[in-house]
Amino acid sequence: SLGVIGGLFRNVVGGKTLTKEDIAKSMKGMEDHLLKKNVAREAAVRLCESVERELIGMKTASFTSVETTINSAMESALSKILTPATSLDLLRQIQSVTSPSALSLQKPRPYVISIVGVNGVGKSTNLSKLCFFLLQNKYRVLVAAADTFRSGAVEQLKVHVRNLRELSKREGGEVDIYEKGYGKDAANIAQDAVKHATENGFDVVLIDTAGRRHNDARLMSSLEKFAKLANPDKIFMVGEALVGTDSVQQARHFNAAFGAGRSLDGFIISKCDTVGDMVGTLVSMVHATGIPVVFLGTGQHYSDLRTLNVKWAVRLLMS
Amino acid sequence: MVLQDLGRRINAAVSDLTRSSNLDEKAFDAMVKEICNALVEADVNIKLVASLRTAIKRKVNFKELAPGVNKKRVIQKAVYDELVELVNPHDKAFTPKKGKPNVIMFVGLQGSGKTTSCTKLARWYQARGFKSCLVCADTFRAGAFDQLKQNATKAKIPYYGSLTQTDPVAVAREGVDKFKKERFEVIIVDTSGRHRQEADLFNEMVQIQEAVKPDDTIMVLDASIGQQAEAQSRAFKDSAGFGSIIITKTDGAAAGGGAISAVAATRTPIVFIGTGEHMLDLERFQPQAFISKLLGMGDMAGLVEH
Ligand SMILES: Nc1nc2c(ncn2[C@@H]2O[C@H](COP(=O)(O)OP(=O)(O)OP(=O)(O)O)[C@@H](O)[C@H]2O)c(=O)[nH]1
Ligand SMILES: Nc1nc2c(ncn2[C@@H]2O[C@H](COP(=O)(O)OP(=O)(O)OP(=O)(O)O)[C@@H](O)[C@H]2O)c(=O)[nH]1
Ligand SMILES: [Mg+2]
Ligand SMILES: [Mg+2]
Repeated sequence: SLGVIGGLFRNVVGGKTLTKEDIAKSMKGMEDHLLKKNVAREAAVRLCESVERELIGMKTASFTSVETTINSAMESALSKILTPATSLDLLRQIQSVTSPSALSLQKPRPYVISIVGVNGVGKSTNLSKLCFFLLQNKYRVLVAAADTFRSGAVEQLKVHVRNLRELSKREGGEVDIYEKGYGKDAANIAQDAVKHATENGFDVVLIDTAGRRHNDARLMSSLEKFAKLANPDKIFMVGEALVGTDSVQQARHFNAAFGAGRSLDGFIISKCDTVGDMVGTLVSMVHATGIPVVFLGTGQHYSDLRTLNVKWAVRLLMS
Repeated sequence: MVLQDLGRRINAAVSDLTRSSNLDEKAFDAMVKEICNALVEADVNIKLVASLRTAIKRKVNFKELAPGVNKKRVIQKAVYDELVELVNPHDKAFTPKKGKPNVIMFVGLQGSGKTTSCTKLARWYQARGFKSCLVCADTFRAGAFDQLKQNATKAKIPYYGSLTQTDPVAVAREGVDKFKKERFEVIIVDTSGRHRQEADLFNEMVQIQEAVKPDDTIMVLDASIGQQAEAQSRAFKDSAGFGSIIITKTDGAAAGGGAISAVAATRTPIVFIGTGEHMLDLERFQPQAFISKLLGMGDMAGLVEH
């Protein structure tokens, strides 16, 4: 815990001008603290450097220990990195596409979201949770089964759609699946699904994709064609809270996979319920790309999807 | 691939130091620091890294090194010994025997690669003359039975599961009993993903285990797991007492230090590694080769016997 850092400075109180030497030990303690929280080293080092730059030459406020000064500087650095520049009001954005204002001269069309990420991180499950959220908001959702590779992927989505349809009787909305079995090209299926949704008055298309390693050049390069044909309004990458240092490269490689002028629109950080207070992946992925976290997966049920509460995350990271 | 970069970095750090003409304490500290950074970036547990740092420093005891000793050799040996200690499972893995049923149960976190690895392992033993089969005791995850069924069908391996039975304990027991009667030799039981924060899921795992009495329980770990590896694997060990580890997705870019930490925390050997999404992407794991790889072989290999 952060107690270690405090121990080094128990007797220093206010009114001292901080030097690099003063804080070196504490900064190392802070770095170790972040590493323990599963923040990738690259991100931890950068955060500590920015805090250090801010602190050197600063006078600690009276009666404030150096510990408190460092902690609050790190707290604000973490909030700053995790707080998105613009907040995503997904429902509003969907609305503006499915029922455009008369002034906009746009034709109504379905809003398209695709979900990407490495193997087993929770793409299909969190897609289903997102679907549940949209049903609660009374939308007509088409789920497109564009993972045509992994055994059982299509049946998995069929089960989710069956369950969600049952829930929609209570929650409202409507849901259907678009699937063409296995072996077909994912980009073509996605494109066809969007066409089908347009013709049949769906509000939202949720496209599931196969898991792929970010270091698999062939599978990664097929994402470019996918983005072209499916032309999604949003591409969300699912990153897993359990993942360590690899999260940095996962985020970077996926962010760069969709061709010039197209990047990720947000992260869904899944399995947050499996890591306790070690929520460092949030920081690592945002640090790597500047792309915001839009949702957190917090369990295996449809209601286990949350928006990111920055205060909550910072509290866990500083605990 | 897993561990190669880590091995390269550790080796480079050691040989940079031992090659330098000016082998002073500052350079030694820098080497220890570089090794520790490499381990941290590979996702080795932070506390393990800290204790490794202390152990190397204590063993070498730079200040007290007598002028006559071969400093280079002392340092190399200390680094090597500590790394070996880190990954030494202190335990031998279970191997199935022909002519009797060998029940193997898979456990692990959500999405780690259990179902995929189950089929790979069944096929592995089938190819080596064992009469092998699969039991799907995952009644929770959507499409879990379809996934196992499709994999098993592709690999031509008999399977058991149910689309209607919702109690995983019952399905597991039925499947294992059935295959035991039919004199199968390797009976692999797939279970749902779970995590230590949910006690009910852990209880369920223990109940399945009591029902099928596995000869070996295998924990499946994703090579990319970070700092939670230790706590999760320790919790699985405490509840399920697994005897082997399979590391999956080693074809990814992750360095696999989480897996090392799991071995260190549970003193359990890694038996196989998954190297891809296809049926044949499974390799037997040799701890000794692992350590050599970790250390990039080099002249340290000569220090193995001591
Ligand atoms: N505890 C927990 N488990 C989750 C969460 N999200 C997904 N899972 C579980 O993770 C496992 C994998 O989820 P999937 O949705 O199949 O993952 P995927 O990314 O679609 O996997 P592939 O398509 O095979 O690459 C399942 O057992 C899910 O129930 C979460 O937020 N918390
Ligand atoms: N690249 C790669 N992918 C793998 C490997 N092993 C499994 N996978 C992929 O990882 C994903 C999850 O694998 P599963 O076998 O469904 O994982 P699981 O542990 O059974 O998941 P749950 O039952 O939901 O807990 C799938 O997309 C697999 O294809 C591997 O060695 N390499
Ligand atoms: Mg999926
Ligand atoms: Mg499974």
